[in-house]
Amino acid sequence: MRLSVAAAISHGRVFRRLGLGPESRIHLLQNLLTGLVRHERIEASWARVDELRGYAEKLIDCGKLGDTNERAMRMADFWLTEKDLIPKLFHVLAPRYQGQNGGYTRMLQIPNRNKQDRAKMAVIEYKGNCLPPLPLPHRDSNLTLLNQLLQGLQKDQEASTHSSHTVQTPEI
Amino acid sequence: MVPAMAMLMVPPWPAAQGLLRNCWEQLQRKHRQSRPGFPSPQWGPALAVQGPAIFTEPANDTNGSKEISSFLESIFWMAAPQNRRSIEVNRCRRRNLHKLITVKNNIDVCPECGHLKQKHVLCGYCYEKVCKETAEIRRQIGKQEGGPFKAPTVETMVLYLGETPSKRDQGKRIIEREWKRPSWFTQN
Repeated sequence: MRLSVAAAISHGRVFRRLGLGPESRIHLLQNLLTGLVRHERIEASWARVDELRGYAEKLIDCGKLGDTNERAMRMADFWLTEKDLIPKLFHVLAPRYQGQNGGYTRMLQIPNRNKQDRAKMAVIEYKGNCLPPLPLPHRDSNLTLLNQLLQGLQKDQEASTHSSHTVQTPEI
Repeated sequence: MVPAMAMLMVPPWPAAQGLLRNCWEQLQRKHRQSRPGFPSPQWGPALAVQGPAIFTEPANDTNGSKEISSFLESIFWMAAPQNRRSIEVNRCRRRNLHKLITVKNNIDVCPECGHLKQKHVLCGYCYEKVCKETAEIRRQIGKQEGGPFKAPTVETMVLYLGETPSKRDQGKRIIEREWKRPSWFTQN
């Protein structure tokens, strides 16, 4: 029975370790978040983008509190290292998402990096930006011929099972 | 000196002789310490094997042969294979399932451009197109802003050749691109 913690096992650990340590991780996320607010679309390694996503959404929630709120202003001041983005957060990004309650960002995986490390990369963007749209995966519309035929087949099968049920019940 | 791998073939090996001599002298010394009686009783080894005459040489010889490295003495206790692995056994190990390359069955064709893509990953060609266009737009933004740290506090809009802003896009900063609108960049 193992009573000690082995060094290399990390079963069930959910918190990532980025950079050189916890402080370095926060600085990395600060830089990534500042870049995201400035350019509204960022590509980076998948782990960093995944870490960043939560912080990006929390920052928008913070921006929705308004710039008169002392805590919101302190948060924005800490996370955005380039201070010309603080008005952009409060006057551009927060009003854009007034009607929504979450889901301000979109994260997608892109092909591995072209350098020797072939790292797993991802792109994150704030929805509703002015840039050209990403090639999102979308389901085919219901109005294509194939989908209409499949819908018809489904209806026919349901109708046949329904009629066989109604025929059986009087016998019983 | 002959390398250590050949030691089994030649019995009169100086390292072996030195080692056996050291062990024998240690045994003698211990026996004398444990039984310091003057008439030491006759005692001999329990098992005698015929070997080279190494004990007739004087002990002074060990001073000359001190250059026997401890590595050569310690090779007696290293791991080595007993038998040659046959090619059948080798094949079983080398072609084991976890050593082969896994086949990917999540490769699809992108419906827009026809290039290959993985199911959960964006199409590389389409994403590259989008990257180029965003780079051009960002270059134009940089020219309009004129310097670093000048992000505006209004929304931005991109207009292509021959387009005018609609009623909804009234208060926005306009980025002009000298090109016709790409088919995949719809104006919404």
